[in-house]
Amino acid sequence: MRSRPSLAVFFLIGLLAGGAWVSLTGAIKPSFQELEESLTCQCGCGLTVHSCNHLQCGSAIPLRAEIREQMDLGKSKTQILAYFANKYGEKILSSPTTSGFNLTAWVMPFALVSLGGIFVVLTLIRWSSRRPARPPSEGGAPLPHEPSPYEKILERELKDFED
Amino acid sequence: MIDIGSLALALGLVLAAYAVVMSLVGALRRRRDLVASAEHAAYAVWGLTVIAVAYLLQLLVTHDFNVEYVAAYSSSTLPLNYTITALWGGQQGSLLFWLLILTSITSVVLLQNRERNRDLMPYVTAVLMIVSVFFLLMLNFITPPFQRLAFTPAEGRDLNPLLQNYWMQIHPPSLYLGYVGCAVPFAFAMAALITGKLGDVWIRTTRRWTLFAWFFLTLGNLFGAEWAYLVLGWGGYWAWDPVENAAFMPWLTCTALLHSVMIQEKKNMLKVWNMVLVILTFLLTIFGTFLTRSGVISSVHSFTQSGLGPFFIGFLALMSALSIGLLVWRLPLLKSENELDSLISRESTFLFNNLVLVGIAFAVFWGTVFPVISEAVRGVKITVGPPFFNKVNAPLGLILLFLTGVGPLIAWRRAGWKSIQRNLLPPLAVGFVSGVVMVGAGMRSYWALIAFPTGIFVLTGIVMEYYRGVRARQAVVGENPLRALFRLIAKNRRRYGGYIIHVGVVMAFFAITGTSIFKQEKQITVSVGQSFPMGSYTLRYEGIEQQSTPHIDYLRAKVAVLENGKQVDLLKPEKRFYKKPQQPTTEVAIRSTLGADLYTVLGSFDQDTKLATLQVYINPLVSFLWYGGLVMALGTAIVIWPGGVKSREPAYAPRRAGERVVAD
Repeated sequence: MRSRPSLAVFFLIGLLAGGAWVSLTGAIKPSFQELEESLTCQCGCGLTVHSCNHLQCGSAIPLRAEIREQMDLGKSKTQILAYFANKYGEKILSSPTTSGFNLTAWVMPFALVSLGGIFVVLTLIRWSSRRPARPPSEGGAPLPHEPSPYEKILERELKDFED
Repeated sequence: MIDIGSLALALGLVLAAYAVVMSLVGALRRRRDLVASAEHAAYAVWGLTVIAVAYLLQLLVTHDFNVEYVAAYSSSTLPLNYTITALWGGQQGSLLFWLLILTSITSVVLLQNRERNRDLMPYVTAVLMIVSVFFLLMLNFITPPFQRLAFTPAEGRDLNPLLQNYWMQIHPPSLYLGYVGCAVPFAFAMAALITGKLGDVWIRTTRRWTLFAWFFLTLGNLFGAEWAYLVLGWGGYWAWDPVENAAFMPWLTCTALLHSVMIQEKKNMLKVWNMVLVILTFLLTIFGTFLTRSGVISSVHSFTQSGLGPFFIGFLALMSALSIGLLVWRLPLLKSENELDSLISRESTFLFNNLVLVGIAFAVFWGTVFPVISEAVRGVKITVGPPFFNKVNAPLGLILLFLTGVGPLIAWRRAGWKSIQRNLLPPLAVGFVSGVVMVGAGMRSYWALIAFPTGIFVLTGIVMEYYRGVRARQAVVGENPLRALFRLIAKNRRRYGGYIIHVGVVMAFFAITGTSIFKQEKQITVSVGQSFPMGSYTLRYEGIEQQSTPHIDYLRAKVAVLENGKQVDLLKPEKRFYKKPQQPTTEVAIRSTLGADLYTVLGSFDQDTKLATLQVYINPLVSFLWYGGLVMALGTAIVIWPGGVKSREPAYAPRRAGERVVAD
């Protein structure tokens, strides 16, 4: 019974992370807008080429023309983006590439959430397994126990107070 | 000769430092007189800050251009409202304004706790005053606001035109209130760690302050989004800019805290985690200010960059070291008897909700700083823009939305399979059916087909909860439905106010999905009288009108909006030319309906050919974001509203025979 929720969580995280990963690979033939959104306008607006609304923009307009040229050559998305990265430097890409050190940009958030998910599941299992081992709270004399840190502080403060 | 503003800041620094020292000495030596003296000093710092702010406002309003700040951020033609808001339009002024909010909040906290939490208060005062000392050091030595020029310019350089907007009058104050509000739970948490009084007193004392901070962070983020939507003119409201991210991250961790703190209140669990969240939220507010002020990461929103970066990093490092050091020192005291009755319970869903919220905060943080990391590691400049954040955060956001629906439907302590089926299956079924209907209606977007039905699932769950509550009151008390609804909310504001906040969150998700996936846009060059279709509308360009004021020249396109052949609106998108800074800006014109915004931008106008280039967008469901914000604000107001809350018995206290467990 206990494995149900943990399996469901792993499944959900795996599914969504996998979905995101597939969308990153860019295996499908790109549209013009997709390429525009993959490039950053260099005019300083901080937006993608697609979103830059400076109609006389000295960066977005030539870049759009260049995207069309590259598409007309029948290149794939990866090839077109590689062309722009080679020509203008990696900073023109609106997202980090999915290779080398840049891969950590993509992997880290999902890795952290996945590891966190495993930790949470294990913690929940540990906490919920403690319960049956404890004696029932109703009735009966309290069991002798080691004083907790709180009790120690209380004891010390009471002693100080009395002093 | 030293002016009154500089004198006030210098005295403020001395008194703030005095308050820090005397609070600590007074607490350690148990000297009430010293603690009281420190508190009086803190009030005095507030008074001195008020004087400094009032003096700067006077300089701005009287156009004393001999003062560098006034000359840099205002002009004689700047309208009075923007002259006043120029207070936070520049570096020095915004730091001073921050200090004003911080010292004001400190004074309120001191007043609130005159008779309460006396063992914690010296340390609370010390922590809040340490933050004040930092800002006062900046204002006295690094960026003094009252610096005078060697000459008096005839005219000021004016406030950045992008900041001359209604939303910029309320966005920074809201955000600062949110940021500074986070300092209060942090100060109490530090006081609890120092004194070792780590029960739930500090948590209960600061609950309203955490909500207060969350409320203003929410509003601040939304006001900023509204400003970007209206002023930047690119058809969107959120571009994952570093400064936007800076405000979003503490909101995420604060949201996580508001949920996890309930577990500590009810079960005395997650003490360490809650401490971590309080510390993280506070540090993220300082990090956010660092991002905005330092210019270390380029941002279109960084209106006031300077060399403050190293000081903020130093302060961040100091506060991190102190808070983490205290946390590690007190770990033995924070260990709680963590136990769960069942693996499936609301506690579990809250833990997952915390995981996802912190995961999104990390993703945003990681993406924001990755360009700096990349440059340090590889020596290569890269960009991490909106596509990265959208791709990484969309799946996490959807998990969060799903958990928003599941959490309230799962009971505290233990949820049996039968109750899960009873509570979850109907909303899940409604969500599923809505998805099928959407597919039938032609919707094909993978993300939309997850997001909308999930949102409908959440809303159905909330409606069910209200329905059950109202029915129960009707059955027990015999009230009419409306009164029962009102009393239901009034009797348990935290629970039902929380549900209202969730409705607002769902509305925001709908808006984000609608605008991300179904946005339409068109750029067209038109002559007078020319029409073109856009969505269900036909737009007709009617010509240009021009207007000139001493402050601004306007170029306004008139665009008639027709629906079914009948004119329903006349939009006037503008180009403004601000005369002092010689800077053009865009002023969009919007026809807003609940379903979609028709968003028009005047791109350019050719005086010779009389041709105008328009950029037109249809932004579906964007109004849900603004209304969702209002709903969130309403829900928070209900939760935070004082009075009427009975002292709460811990949910897991032993029950008398015959009592029922009531989920909260």
